[in-house]
Amino acid sequence: MQAEIINAMSPDAELFQAYSNRTQSMENRSMQVPRGDRRTVGQATVENPKVRCENVDIFYDLGEKKAINNITLDIGQNEVIAMIGPSGCGKSTFLRSMNRMNDTIEGCRMDGKIFLEGKNIYDKDVDVVPLRAQVGMVFQKPNPFPKSIYDNVAYGPKIHGLVRTKNQTDEIVEHSLIRAGLWEEVKDRLDKPGTGLSGGQQQRLCIARTIAVGPEVILMDEPCSALDPIATAIIEDLMDELRKEYSIVIVTHSMQQASRVSQRTAFFHLGDLIEIGPTEQIFLNPIHQLTQDYITGRFG
Amino acid sequence: MNNSLSPSRTLDIVHKGLKRRVNAERRFRLCGLFAIIFSLVCLSTLFVSIFVNGYTAFFQTHIQLTVFLDPDKIDTPNIMDADFSGMVKQSLRTKFPDVKSRKDKRKLYALVSSGAAYQLMDIVKEYPQKIGSEIQVWVPADDDVDMLMKGHIKRNVKESDRRLNDAQISWIETFEEQGKIRKQFNFTFFTSGDSREPELSGVRGAVSGSFLTLIITLVLSFPIGVATAVYLEEFAPKNRWTDLIEVNINNLAAVPSIVFGLLGLAVFLNFFGLPRSSPMVGGFVLTLMTLPTIIIAGRASLKSVPPSIREAALGIGASKTQMVCHHVLPLAMPGMLTGTIIGMAQALGETAPLLMIGMVAFIVDIPGSITDPSTVLPVQIFLWADSPERAFLEKTSAAIMVLLFFLITMNAAAVILRRKFEKKW
Amino acid sequence: MKKSLFVVMVIVCALLSIGVVDSSFAGASRDYISIVGSSTVYPFATVVAEKFGKSSGFKTPKIESTGSGGGHKLFGSGVGVQHPDITNSSRRIKKSEFEKANKNGVTGIVEVKIGYDGIVVANSKKTAVLKLTRRDLYLALAAQVPNPDGSQILISNPYRTWKDVNASLPALKIEVLGPPPTSGTRDAFVELAMEGGAKKFAFIKAMKKIDKKKYKAVCHMVREDGAYIEAGENDNLIVQKLIANPNALGIFGFSFLDQNTDKIQGSFIDGVEPTFEAIADGSYPVSRPLFFYVKKAHVDKIPGIREFLKEFTSEKAWGDEGYLTDKGLIPMPVAERKKYRSAVENLTELALSDL
Repeated sequence: MQAEIINAMSPDAELFQAYSNRTQSMENRSMQVPRGDRRTVGQATVENPKVRCENVDIFYDLGEKKAINNITLDIGQNEVIAMIGPSGCGKSTFLRSMNRMNDTIEGCRMDGKIFLEGKNIYDKDVDVVPLRAQVGMVFQKPNPFPKSIYDNVAYGPKIHGLVRTKNQTDEIVEHSLIRAGLWEEVKDRLDKPGTGLSGGQQQRLCIARTIAVGPEVILMDEPCSALDPIATAIIEDLMDELRKEYSIVIVTHSMQQASRVSQRTAFFHLGDLIEIGPTEQIFLNPIHQLTQDYITGRFG
Repeated sequence: MNNSLSPSRTLDIVHKGLKRRVNAERRFRLCGLFAIIFSLVCLSTLFVSIFVNGYTAFFQTHIQLTVFLDPDKIDTPNIMDADFSGMVKQSLRTKFPDVKSRKDKRKLYALVSSGAAYQLMDIVKEYPQKIGSEIQVWVPADDDVDMLMKGHIKRNVKESDRRLNDAQISWIETFEEQGKIRKQFNFTFFTSGDSREPELSGVRGAVSGSFLTLIITLVLSFPIGVATAVYLEEFAPKNRWTDLIEVNINNLAAVPSIVFGLLGLAVFLNFFGLPRSSPMVGGFVLTLMTLPTIIIAGRASLKSVPPSIREAALGIGASKTQMVCHHVLPLAMPGMLTGTIIGMAQALGETAPLLMIGMVAFIVDIPGSITDPSTVLPVQIFLWADSPERAFLEKTSAAIMVLLFFLITMNAAAVILRRKFEKKW
Repeated sequence: MKKSLFVVMVIVCALLSIGVVDSSFAGASRDYISIVGSSTVYPFATVVAEKFGKSSGFKTPKIESTGSGGGHKLFGSGVGVQHPDITNSSRRIKKSEFEKANKNGVTGIVEVKIGYDGIVVANSKKTAVLKLTRRDLYLALAAQVPNPDGSQILISNPYRTWKDVNASLPALKIEVLGPPPTSGTRDAFVELAMEGGAKKFAFIKAMKKIDKKKYKAVCHMVREDGAYIEAGENDNLIVQKLIANPNALGIFGFSFLDQNTDKIQGSFIDGVEPTFEAIADGSYPVSRPLFFYVKKAHVDKIPGIREFLKEFTSEKAWGDEGYLTDKGLIPMPVAERKKYRSAVENLTELALSDL
């Protein structure tokens, strides 16, 4: 964390600079909420949310281990919401509950409700297949299929039956790659394996693959942690662009990234949602003692 | 806590132990090298000895005879009944007219294989117009003559110590002087089935039997094995039952193959009443034997498919079956194929379970379907190795070569298939 | 997509092939003769089968080498196409086997003796020929032998060299390679050579009447201290080991000696050399008759059985100069051949009282 704070002195992290300058004064100020208080601080709900999570509990190992403790959180329309917190705080688990990827984990159980546009996705009659088409996911490590670039993007539309003809497929592939900012780089080698691209390109290919199915929400689980700063910058710009059409939830360990790309930030700690609020407020003026400790690098 | 270890001291200590470490490393590598050389020497000794013993079997001594196809002796519609061996004997008597005594005549007739008569029969069947004329024909020599020509029987030992007496050797020398005895490529070895006469025996029956048996094995064990592996690895819940199944499959892989033979005897022959000695039952038994190998290999290769690929597919909204069929299975297929071919190779070399279901048998006719009685290559090797005739020794080695050829081909196919599948990505 | 199609196709193929198989064996009949039994008779039966198959127009009989006991078990398990028609045997059928076969519905059994087989004790030509007696063989190879001091007590075999057994023999270490207990050759050797030798001791002979079990054990138990080496069923292997080790003796069928006369020689037993003639006239003591048994119920049901029997019992096959003698079969005297040929022609049934 120390290193990250030093790195944060890059020119484009103005917000962060401002925050750093004020760190000194914050240290001595007494917080409104002490460390021991585990209740969520801040406004967790929004008007007309895309996704509404209500009292979500998640357990691992057949209920032995509680990973997420009674979290209520809304994801707004066309916003990027960042989830930060120390390793093992449950932010990825929570993220994965939004498209039911946790279903694939043996012994994982979820209580509570998650509404996608008013429909509880954990209802018995909900099929995960259309749900995951609606709520796409980009993973930590770029994981293109070992197929051609074209097939990578075309795969989702094909299995969902979104395309009937070759022309339609071509169109959707091109459109998705353009949206993911990869078209110019790969248009001449669509038949080459997706695994032959560089790390950043692979991750953008994964984003293209996700948006090819036409999702409404995109979940990103530390999408840049395996990438170099240049690739990271490209993806971050892309997120800003994608926000116009989709709601994006991003889990990140990089606070600069959270501050750069998100409108709201949620701070998780040991399975609790500690603080949620506008990104600027979380970084410049955290209310909870734990949040302040984390962003100033006291722990984590 | 380690203040006493200043950097220079650390370096000293490291330097002191360095030589020992370098030596240990060298020793370790030498051990490995030695192991490889040892196994190579063993392998090449095996190959060389088999080759040296067996290559002569690819050639067979033939003798040229002038045979008169006596029209009095051949009844045209019933060619089978004609006394062709009498014609062969007549031809030998004409060639050596001074052989008079009954005993000597027997010795003379023994020079030519009993297969000569069948060869004449085939000629007459194909060209009936030749009846009544004299024909020149190369017929196979008896196995003892063959052994003599190949040097396995020495001419200079005492007469009582060899299977050919002095008179026989002098007749052979007459043939040699006239250029009427020669070694030629042994097509019989590849075109005919088993025989009790070494010069007439071949591996085709056993090869066909092996082929039919393996086809059955492959057709059954591959889909069943893959389906089992996929279900256990991807779909089955992890509970006590699946643990039990897993333990059992691993145990089955180590069960001696004869046990599968006993099972086959009890279930397929005695209960279902399937035909004894047939490639079908052989294939069933070998399927039982190879299944655990394929399942274990299949599960291992499914496990080795990175979970990120599964997540990627699920994350887009692929169903579990789509994920398995479109992504996991193709990636696991090279490993599964390798496992299958290793299992097949194992099955190809198996004799013990086939003993119980009657495939260790003397079968001359070449099997044409999966219900015909048949034997397999390793069984043929086993049977020949146990035959008293000296000439079967080289046949045994030659049959081993044929078996090795198939094994090498199969393993090469495994490598090629794997490469081909992997190239796609 | 293609992959899943492929998998489905493979499964369909598998099911189809099972279906085809299913229909093909329903109501199956057999058009070839099925023969099982002794590995000693196997080389002779196969020659006849091959000649028969090539010259008769019938299919070549299938011959499995299961051992005499295994053969009788299969043979006596019932009547029907799934059961063999003929079993070869290097000994006569046992009463128990006969009764069991009767119980399973196999009633008409025709017994055919085909000739004799000699069991030889041979060594490499590099060493001198041994002149052994059955007594020597018993003393050298039995687990328990009479105490050499002359008292009638059985002790575990103390002999190390042939000279210990019989002063006229060379001082060679006793080292005999022979077949394992599963082999018919071993049975015959123990019965003919060792029991024959043991009977030379009056008190052992007397034991037969008192305690038959003990008598059998004394005569038939082969020593297990390393002097007798079980070399497996493969007689060729024994021949090769003899060539490699000139001091060892080997026990196997006469045909293997016949095929390897340049490398090995048969020891004299009771003063008789194992030759074709000596075995044929019965002067060589360690020889046994060979048989096969035919299921009468199968004759005329399975095509070719009559013709096969005719071929087997023809003079050109089992006669004095028949092709079976080339393979090492020792022919029966003319009268005996005549007797069994007529048994085959009339399909004379074997009765329990004959055994």
